[in-house]
Amino acid sequence: MIETLAKNLVNLKKEFASLYEGHSQIQEVIPISKSELFQIEQQELELLHQFAAKNPIYYNSYEKVIGRTPCIVYEGDINKYWLSSIQHGSSHAPFSPTWIMSAYVGALLAKKLGYLEVIDIGSGDGRIAFCGKVIDMESYSVEIDDMLFDLQKFLCSTLDYNPRCSDAGIFDYSSLNIKQPIFFIGGLAQMGGVSLASAVLEKINSIPDLWPNSGWVFAGTLSQKYASDPNNEAGWGTLIEKNNLKSIQSISLPTAWAFHESDDTPYIFTQPN
Amino acid sequence: MTSTDDISQMLDNESLKLQNLIKIAESNCDLNIHEIVETYYQVMNVSSMSTMLKEQIESQPDSLLNKIQIIDKSISEQFNSNIHPRIMKTLSTSIKETTKKLQSGNTDKKSKEEIESEAKLFEELRQKMSTREFVEQYDKGLYDD
Repeated sequence: MIETLAKNLVNLKKEFASLYEGHSQIQEVIPISKSELFQIEQQELELLHQFAAKNPIYYNSYEKVIGRTPCIVYEGDINKYWLSSIQHGSSHAPFSPTWIMSAYVGALLAKKLGYLEVIDIGSGDGRIAFCGKVIDMESYSVEIDDMLFDLQKFLCSTLDYNPRCSDAGIFDYSSLNIKQPIFFIGGLAQMGGVSLASAVLEKINSIPDLWPNSGWVFAGTLSQKYASDPNNEAGWGTLIEKNNLKSIQSISLPTAWAFHESDDTPYIFTQPN
Repeated sequence: MTSTDDISQMLDNESLKLQNLIKIAESNCDLNIHEIVETYYQVMNVSSMSTMLKEQIESQPDSLLNKIQIIDKSISEQFNSNIHPRIMKTLSTSIKETTKKLQSGNTDKKSKEEIESEAKLFEELRQKMSTREFVEQYDKGLYDD
């Protein structure tokens, strides 16, 4: 069911990208209501819309039927957050968001795989943590940039997804009292993701009770713009092997950074061997 | 097999293109991104030809070796010592100014048109930053040699 939902979302994005005539820096769509293609609880869909409608990165929205799915299109601009994020010496990857619907599908898969807590690392506006909370998982988000952290504090009045303003590589994860967490790593391997992931992996590896129960999700790329990894996994193969992880599932989902690409973003779900 | 005359002709053509670009760069302190990239590309192109020919130095006639020396001198004295540091400085200053301008921008609620127009300035900033990275890589190569 989750795989079908992901596939339908990718098709919706392709249809939308072929129709889109606007000039916004980022854009995404969320179906208005539950349908045959998007069998999502109405209450959950409404929470996703609330997150987008309240989020100041979106400055315009309108209704549009895409294929046969009535949707709301959200147009946004993340330039000022990008400018803020690149000022940080220790910021590993500049902010660029996944789609809210993709964050939701990713959280659904994490829950199906048996994880209890979503930890959104390099979380931007915290949308993955928010989506974890939407489906009743415990959620935490870690973000180094104070401007984005302020944005998260504002957004979490809808659902509190526990934002933390910290360098994820030095954050004390034992303070969260988590038992079976899944870590979503922000950023492509080639865009600072490896450095960010390595630092967090090292921290969790040092907590013996937590490490074997942990899950790790990496956003990959198949684009030829980026150097490929000799061990594949959409850029993450070497890190996966080095950290003795194994890939358990991969799903492709739309993201802001791959909007104009023919290939969507593969999310690689892994766990310790 | 390419003859010495062909090689010499090719070197003449490419170094002439480079000289034209160097002239433009010397007379214009505010090259656009395309002109900067084109100039560096041509410098690297001619430098590679020169290096390759020097590796086969014993088989080259004196006239070609003289030509190579003149070209190397021009790249070193006109470009590496003069134009390249100036481009690095201009890019850095321009990036600082644009960043400051964008950071101090009016924070009042903006219209869709204002946001999309400002986004073009951000795009220019990204282009300048990526060009600076390219130019810095060239600079690093100068000291590694």
